[in-house]
Amino acid sequence: MVSVRFIAKRLLLLVPVLFGVATVVFAILQLSPGNPARVIAGQRASQAFVNQVEQQLGLDDPIWVQYGRFLADVARFDLGQSYTIQRNTPVTTILANKLPVTIELALYGQLIGIVLGIPLGIISAVNQDTITDHLTRVGALSGISVPIFWSGPLVILLFSQILGWVPTSGRIDSQAYSIEPITGLITLDTFVQGIQQSLTSGFDPANFAPFISAVNHMILPALTIGIYSMALISRMMRSSMLEVIRQDYMRTARAKGQGAKITIMKHGLRNALIPVITVIGIQFGSLLGGAVLTETVFGIGGIGTLLVRAIEVGDYPVVQGTVLVFAFLFTLVNLGVDITYSVLDPRIQQ
Amino acid sequence: MGPQEWLLVRTRLLGTAAAVGVVAGGLAVLGLSVLRNLDFASTQTFAVGALVLGFGVLGWSGSVLAGRGIESLQTYLDAGTDWTEADSRRAMTRVLGFGAGVMVGVVLATVAIG
Repeated sequence: MVSVRFIAKRLLLLVPVLFGVATVVFAILQLSPGNPARVIAGQRASQAFVNQVEQQLGLDDPIWVQYGRFLADVARFDLGQSYTIQRNTPVTTILANKLPVTIELALYGQLIGIVLGIPLGIISAVNQDTITDHLTRVGALSGISVPIFWSGPLVILLFSQILGWVPTSGRIDSQAYSIEPITGLITLDTFVQGIQQSLTSGFDPANFAPFISAVNHMILPALTIGIYSMALISRMMRSSMLEVIRQDYMRTARAKGQGAKITIMKHGLRNALIPVITVIGIQFGSLLGGAVLTETVFGIGGIGTLLVRAIEVGDYPVVQGTVLVFAFLFTLVNLGVDITYSVLDPRIQQ
Repeated sequence: MGPQEWLLVRTRLLGTAAAVGVVAGGLAVLGLSVLRNLDFASTQTFAVGALVLGFGVLGWSGSVLAGRGIESLQTYLDAGTDWTEADSRRAMTRVLGFGAGVMVGVVLATVAIG
């Protein structure tokens, strides 16, 4: 059982992480060239008007006053309003619309990574130094080495252009289906919508057509992002399982007549999973970052695309808000990893 | 190590770095204000100090949060570099102390000159 104290300690760590991220982002934006007041006022605006905007935004205050105000706003979850992308719209509203897209992508990518990576790692370890092991290791190495901006177009070419199995871009066939957003996770929303329609008008496979379309659109981006994750997880699982296999308790279990498969799944997997869980946690952060490229390649408008756009047009509040949300998500995932850790091995809580 | 000694070690670690930072921040404002103007010197030096502080805080909390995991990751991937969570934490404490010192030094120097 996970203790409340353990979780509370981990939650407290969120504070310095978010403070650090907020400070770094504030400093970088201060050091970068360009005047936000000029961006808002427009390039042709008079200096007097620019000065007026500066005064309104408090940009003419000493920098430590601006820093203090920024931290106070962040502490109140007030991330300001967008300067240019959606003028005068709260950043939290913009993020709330875009975040589910990236989360959905990262979740499915991670799921592919876990579902394929763990069994591959186990198979590789159990068949150490055989052709299966060599093939898996080469596959893992390739997966780690291939960048998303290359693997993305490659899977589009193979599965979409040549085989014609799945669509190339977007989140759903928007010309055929209209979706009422509930959670923003389109596969979940379409599934819920299908169930609702089935409950009111009886089961009809056509009710789930939007869901099928959403899943089809998600396959390629999730696969692209999941290949890298799978490669690292399988590599880690192999190393960890090889170490566990050599332990005395595994030999004892085998000596007592337990079958090889049961020994590995019952005694080995739980212990071998501990370092793999770490990788999965760290990996999720990379997936969120990697989502920027994947979203661009597959034309999905998520938080990564929003960040790139905000940097391009100098929309500082959106940049700050997006980076803070990324950091928050990353630390939350790490909290999840720590809790999973302590469930697998309760000694860690001490 | 008792609580008093524990606190003393941490204070010394943070305090010496912060003191160096205060001096460095003050000198940077003085130097830059001669080359450009006080507003520029104050803003730029404070932002650099904030960047160092933020990096230090992130490094420190990152070490606490994921240090143990990274240690085991290195072991399992046969990429051991003698990096430890404790060393990283201590180093980052100095970095964040220095950054905070620079920020304080900038404020003091700007108020004194301006």
